[in-house]
Formats: sequence, structure tokens, C-alpha cells
Amino acid sequence: MSQKGNFAKYLNRMGWLFIAPALTLFTVFMLYPIVSSLYLVTRKWKGSTDSFIGLGNFVRMANDSVFWHALGTNFFLMVVQIPIMVVLAMVLAVVLDQGIRRFRGAFRLMIFLPCITSLVAYSVLFRILLQTNGLANNLMIGSGLISQPIAWLNDPFWANMTVIVAMTWRWTGYNMIFFLVGLQSIDREIYEAAEVDGAGKLYQFFRITLPLLVPVILFSVVTSTSGTLQLFDEPNVLTNGGGPANATMTAALYIYRQAFVINTDFGYATAMSYVVVVIAAIFAWVQIRLLGGERK
Amino acid sequence: MSMVTPRSVPRFFLWVGLIVWAFLSVFPFFWMAIGTTLNPNDVVKGILIPGNDFLSNVDKATKNYNLPLLFFNSLFIATMTVLFGVTVNALAAYGFEKFPSKVREGFFGVLLLTLIMPQIAIVLPLFREIAFFGLLDSSAAIILPFLMSAFVIFFLRQNFKMFPTEIIEAGRIDGAGEFSIFWKLAFPAMKASFASAAILMFISQWNSFLWPLMTILTDANKTLPIAMSSMMSAYTVEYGGLMVIICVSLLPVLVLFVTMQKQFVAGLMGSLK
Amino acid sequence: MKKILTALLALAMLVGVAGLATAQAKKVTVWCWDPNFNGYSMKEAAKVYNAAHPDVTIEVVDFPNSDGVAGKVQAGLQAGGAGLPDIALFQDFQIEQFITSYPGVFADLKAAGVDYSQFASYKVGPMTEGGKVYGIPFDTGSTGLYLRADYLKQAGLNPDSYLKNLTWKDIVALGKIVKAKINKPLIAYDTSGWEFLRMIVQSAGGQFFKPDGSLDLNTPATKAGIQVLKDLNDAGILGMTEGWGNWVSAFNNGDSAGLVSAIWIIGTLKSQPTNAGKWIVLPTPLLNGVAGAQNASNWGGSSWYVFDKSKNKAGAIDFLKSTWASKDPAALGFYNTILKGAGAMGTYLPSRSGSNYVAKDDFFYKSQAVYADFAKWMEKVPALRYTANYTVLGSALTPALSKLFKGELKTPEEVIADAQTGYKQAVSQ
Repeated sequence: MSQKGNFAKYLNRMGWLFIAPALTLFTVFMLYPIVSSLYLVTRKWKGSTDSFIGLGNFVRMANDSVFWHALGTNFFLMVVQIPIMVVLAMVLAVVLDQGIRRFRGAFRLMIFLPCITSLVAYSVLFRILLQTNGLANNLMIGSGLISQPIAWLNDPFWANMTVIVAMTWRWTGYNMIFFLVGLQSIDREIYEAAEVDGAGKLYQFFRITLPLLVPVILFSVVTSTSGTLQLFDEPNVLTNGGGPANATMTAALYIYRQAFVINTDFGYATAMSYVVVVIAAIFAWVQIRLLGGERK
Repeated sequence: MSMVTPRSVPRFFLWVGLIVWAFLSVFPFFWMAIGTTLNPNDVVKGILIPGNDFLSNVDKATKNYNLPLLFFNSLFIATMTVLFGVTVNALAAYGFEKFPSKVREGFFGVLLLTLIMPQIAIVLPLFREIAFFGLLDSSAAIILPFLMSAFVIFFLRQNFKMFPTEIIEAGRIDGAGEFSIFWKLAFPAMKASFASAAILMFISQWNSFLWPLMTILTDANKTLPIAMSSMMSAYTVEYGGLMVIICVSLLPVLVLFVTMQKQFVAGLMGSLK
Repeated sequence: MKKILTALLALAMLVGVAGLATAQAKKVTVWCWDPNFNGYSMKEAAKVYNAAHPDVTIEVVDFPNSDGVAGKVQAGLQAGGAGLPDIALFQDFQIEQFITSYPGVFADLKAAGVDYSQFASYKVGPMTEGGKVYGIPFDTGSTGLYLRADYLKQAGLNPDSYLKNLTWKDIVALGKIVKAKINKPLIAYDTSGWEFLRMIVQSAGGQFFKPDGSLDLNTPATKAGIQVLKDLNDAGILGMTEGWGNWVSAFNNGDSAGLVSAIWIIGTLKSQPTNAGKWIVLPTPLLNGVAGAQNASNWGGSSWYVFDKSKNKAGAIDFLKSTWASKDPAALGFYNTILKGAGAMGTYLPSRSGSNYVAKDDFFYKSQAVYADFAKWMEKVPALRYTANYTVLGSALTPALSKLFKGELKTPEEVIADAQTGYKQAVSQ
């Protein structure tokens, strides 16, 4: 049936035409730089000279305790910050969707507001707010919550807390919107039926809402994970390039410092970048397997 | 299993929680706005009562930076990125979704992989490429690499899943060309999705810092984030002036979001199915 | 007719192109950070130059901080020199890394006729490579101990009696009194860097690197310096702050009673007008027990460098020589202007005759003639070898010092051992 074959060919051609502009831009501005940077992975770079060192960069990486510490910081932030933020976003969304009717738009706007700030600007704000003698400490001491000022930026533990607090402030609203949207697509009749059966609000939440929100949770977790693995601006600006005793040094920040600040070793920096990419890909794959979903 | 609790008690906690989080979210903005009227040292102390230094802060902010020009540059770049970017990404999303093919799926997968690429790794090769094209110090250098966004394509593609193929087929039977179908049938129906994509792309490009810093060579082509960072890292930080610049830089995004809130949320509807 | 027209057109284009070429040759581009200090100084120099050369345009472009300029320069160098300016500002501690990583990238200004004997010798060291000297030294980082005279008085002390050469042991004693009487730490300390230790070691003529470039932390100066930090911390005299902005707030808002810094912090001090008349500047404390120690040291300071392959190298060099390295009265006048205008003290020795150099400054306690003091101290600053691995060393010493302050490391030897391990890992092998 050549007519069907022709039509299929026509459709195929159309398909390529539609994605052509995006694909061209991708090839020129994304694929080419990536491929050309791959070649750096096996080279030792020092300013204007480079030499081939095979797997030398990876050997160096294996012994680089700062790199592993940085990755550890990323993992710590992921494991602590993401659950807090996702749960918070989900709870806020449920409250706004089902608990409170009035001022919904206003609340939604206010909670989303942090998301419009630039990463650099909000990091600077938090830096000022969380100084040892800054507003946050003063308010907490004044209201009796704490007796001594917290060394938000000076203490390794609290420096990480600062990053977590800042990130949660910045991104909860963003995720909340996704949950809100997910909730709006749930059929109200399911809840009505449950009410009739005598199910309480909490039961409804855990047995109905939560399972139906799994795709949103997955989306939230996967995007947050990849974002946290690439975390750069917050540790750099908030804690001035790595924090007390490198406490908040993240992988991306260390890569940047190796490439531009400490050394000019772009080969090593690129090698580390690809290791991070592989790790991120593994994480995404695992999460998608665990939480299911049709996302590729 | 039913919870026998008076409805008013848990509702009260809900209200409190919501108000607390909304307050925390908004407070820094309030503090920044007050900060534009204070002298630098009061800003740091965290004084929350407006002062008298607004005009002097504006003067400090504009003394070394041509704010209107920077604002225009940022606005131009962000708007161009949105106009061309949403178009390019929407066409691609439509192509991926409505013209399925195994090969194209492979490309889509590669596109998604680039989402996890740390920007630092490609900065230098990209810079070299832009220099090679002679595009340094131009808005094209900032716009072009960010037109295509794998995230936006993915997002729009999810939305296009909801657009019935029957309408497309009906259009074909009527003899319409594919692009005509896209423009006349799909686009009007998916306006909300495009609005969401536009807002996301605008915010991202408006705030972008590292790449413009790398490619801009002269004062006339700078964007707002560069001026902001410059103020932040001076020997003597003019905090009041800094607050002014931050507030100025927040306004367009705020306006954009407030006016398009409904479309934004509606547009996100489709992306999570 | 057609031929004549074509010829005319060609001629016009040629003239146009030539005009463009000469127009381009009359432009000098400068990259620096901080428009109120560096940018301002360069623009003042441009004014002086333009008085004699009105056809030259000097474009001063501002970028966020020294890392921003250095990062952009690196990107440009990696792209074969694309987009680079004629002149760029670099911090003195950064420059050796650039000279080693990118050989031949800067123009040899000694060969271009600059007389370096007229500049403070400790500034010329980092920019020298063999027989070549690359930059024009800019601001001095001559240090002093700034203290709040009013807090000293509150603690029952007489500020004037401290205005002399003291040792760190004296300062520890002073700090203890101040802490006991008014419960304020004497010195605001920025934990995000290690410059404080470096300043102490430099004041004693110490070095971190051997002449061959290898790391050597087991020196008397370094050990004694770390011990001083420990003593200061144990006595509660250091006001810990994280990062530049917070450090500035600490002393400007009176959370700490003082700071150790260079002359260029004066502009920042003046940004808090309510502190007028309260600051007193003491000579840098002396490190006890180390031969060759001075009451002087250096903190920061940058210099201007010309790119060897820049479009207008000749123009840039002429500009710098005529304003920054010239005994011409207009040039010396410019140095005088920026001292008062931004607190920027150059390191061109003949410029010290300027009137502002000996003037009293009413912002300081009893109108102390601070600039004369800083100029005097500048002469005694020992030279420090930064080397290309200076930043790497910092990235290893800063966390080690953090651990010292936390109490995880207890002795200078432990700190040194920890830093050496960190250094080995971070340095590009």
C-alpha cells in the first residue's frame, strides 16, 4: 500500500521539520561544546598548555578527599533538604487545595514569590539576614527562642543548615505549585465517596491523595535531585566559596574553583563534571524505577 | 477509621501554618523594600522602619551603573529569548509528541540527559565557539545558547499529550498543512501552556548571571545581574543601593507573574499527567 | 567615468578603513573591579592623560571582583585572546599564577622603559620573571591595626599610650582587658580567608615557599604566626565573621573594637559617618621571637598589566607610563587626588611628596595623619614570594585554621600537617 507508506514518510519528514530548529540549536550550542569538552577529560591542563594523561585525572579524583567531601555535601543536602521541601510543598498544596478556601490566590502568590528571585540576589539577602549579629538571630534571641546567637555562617554544621534553609525558602513554592496542579486533577467524587464511607480527613490523605500524587512526587524529587547535584550559587555566595572548613563545598563549586580559581586545570575540572553527570543519571534512573512513572 | 475531632481546631492550625510560611516567604521582600530607604549600615542591622535615604541610595545605585540601559538590555534579552525560545521549543515538543518515531525518541533522550550537565563544564568550549562566530559582547551570544531548553520541551510535550490527535487528523482531512494545523488549531488551545513556558524561560534568562558575565565586554551591553554582583563585591558595599537594584530587578518578573498567575497554573496542569 | 567612480569609491573605502584603524588605535580598554576605588583611580589617570592626548579614548569597564576579571581573562585566553582588553587589573597574589600558566601573555614593561626603582620593591617582586617585569604597581596594602579609641577609653585605657610599636603579646594583653571591661572582641576576623596569618608571616619576613617553589610551612615565622592566632582565639579576642560583607559590618557597627587591615579599608570605614573621630591606627604588631620581624606588613594590593597581543599595546603602555610612572607634576597630582578621593595610595615613590600624603584626616582620632603613617610603614614591608600555588595553599590553610579555632587541631604543628595534606591533594601535579 504505497499510499500509506508515502503518508508515513510524509509524517516522518514533518516530524523532523518540527524539531529541526531546536535540534540545530542543540547541536551547535550544546552538543558541540559537550563533545569538545569530552576531549579535555584525558588531558592535564595548565593555563595555555595541556598534555595527554590518559586516566590520570580519574586517578587524581579517586584520591582527592575534597572532591569526595564535596560530593558528600551534595548527598547530605539532598537527603535532608529534598524530603523536607517536598513534604512541605505537598502539605501546603493540600491545605490550600482542600483545607482553606479563602485567599487561595493570595497565598499561592506569596508562597511562590521566592521563586522569582535570582540565585545570586537571594543568597546575598540570606547572607545579610543570617550574620551572627543579623536580623534572624536578633529576632530569635529577642523572642526568647534561643539564648545565644547561632553561628549560621561560621560553624560547619550551621553553614549547611543555612544552605538548607535558603534552598527550602527558595524552592518550596515552586514545588507547591506542581502539587497544587496535581491535586486539581483529582476527581472530587472519590473524596465524596470516601466521606460517605466514613473515612476521616487523614485517612483520605494517606489512602487517596498520596498515591495519586506519586507522579508529582517523582517529578519533584527528580528535578530537585538534579538541581541539588548541580548546586553552585548558594554555597558560593552564601558561604563564600565553600564555607568554614569547606563544610558547604559542593561538587559544582569545587569544579569551578579547580577550573578558574585555585588552578587552571580545565582537564581535571571537566573530568569531575562528567563523574557528576554519571552519578546524577544513576540517581535519576533509580528514582524513576522506584517511584514508577512513564517519564523517559 | 474516622477522626472525631472538632473541625475548628485542625483548621486553626492549618491557617497558622499557612500564614507562617506565607509570611516567611514574603518577609525578605518586605525587608528589601525597607532597605532601599536605609543607609547601608542600618540595612545590615536589620532595621525595619523606613528611613530617609531612598534618594541617596538611588543615586548610589545609578552612579556607576546606567540602570535604565541595563534594565533595557536585560528586558530585551529576556523577551527575545521568550519569543523565539517558546516558538522553537513548542515546535519541537509538538514534533516529538505528534510525530512519534524511535529515532526521534532517541534524540529526546539525549536532550534530557543534558539537563544534568553542570554548566561549568561547557562554559569554556561554548565561549570559544561564540568568539569564533564573532558574537562576543552581543545579546545574540546570551540569547542563542538558551533558546532551546530541554526542560521546556519536556514540559510542553506533556501538555501536548492532552491535545487530541483527532483534531489534527480532522485538520489534515480538511487539507491543512502541518504547520497550519499547529498554528491555527494547537496553539490557540494550548495558550496557557505557552504562557507557563514563557514565564519559566523569562525568569531563567532574566536572572542569568554567569554566562552574560563571560560574554559581555563593555558597559553598554551589561545586564542587571552583573551590576548587582558588582555592587555586592565592592570594597565598600552600598547595601542601600544594592537593595534598590534588587528591587528594580524584581519588578518585571513580579508584574509578569501576577498578571499571568492563572494561565501559569493552568498551563502546568497538563505537564504532570 | 565609471572607472573614476570606482576608483573614488575604492579610495573612500580605503580612507574609511584607515580611519577606522586609526580610530581603533586611539582606544585603550581597561578591565577592573570596584568602580569607586579602582575604576575611579583609573578614570582620574585618564583625565590627566586626555589633557595632553584628547584624541585617545580610555574605556574603563567594571566587572564584579577580582575573580570575575581573572575568570574572564582566562576564558579569553582559552579562546585564543578573543575579547581581551588592553589593560587588566590583577591582585598581586594572583599574578604569579597567570605568569606561570600563560607564558608571554603580558607585555614586558621594563623593556618598554619603565623605571622600576621608583616603585616600592615588594610590589615589583611578584611581577618579575627573570629579566622581565610585567605590570605597573598600583595600590599599596600597607597594614595597620585600627582600633576604636572610644572603646579603649570605655575600658579605662588611654588610646594615645598605644600609638607606638607593639608586639602581638601586647595586643593579647590589651584584648583581654577590653574583653573583660566592655565585652567586645578586639579584632574582627574574617574566617573565609587566611590573609591574617599570611600578613603576620610576611611581617616577619617569612616565606611559605622555598625559592624553588616547593611548599615549606615548617618555618619559625609560620609556627609563631599560627600560635598568635591560637592565643588570640583562646583569649576570645577575635570577633569571628564569615565573609567580607559580614566582616565589614562587624567593625563598622561596633560589634568588634578593631581590625587589622590595609590603608584601602579607610574608604569603607568612612562609609559609617557616625564613627568619625573614633578610629586610631597603630602600627602592625610585631611578631615576637622571630628575627627580622617588622611592624609593617601588606594586605592585598593590585597592579595593572598590559596584554602583549592587545590591539593597542603601544597606546596602553604610553598611557600607563605617562600617568602612573611619571614624575610629571600632572601625574604626581593624580596620585595625590586619588589618595584623598578614594583612599588609594599608590606605590610610586616620588608621589609621596603630595600634599595629601602628609595631611591630617579629621575622620580619625585626634586628626591622625594616617597617610603619612601608612607611607612610612610601607617602606619596611618585607617582600613575600606568592608563587603560582598561592591560592592552592590558601584553600588548604583556611580549613586547617578553621579547625584550629574549633579546637579540633591544637598546635601549630598539627595545623601545618593538616594544611600540607590538603595542599598536596589540591595542587595540580
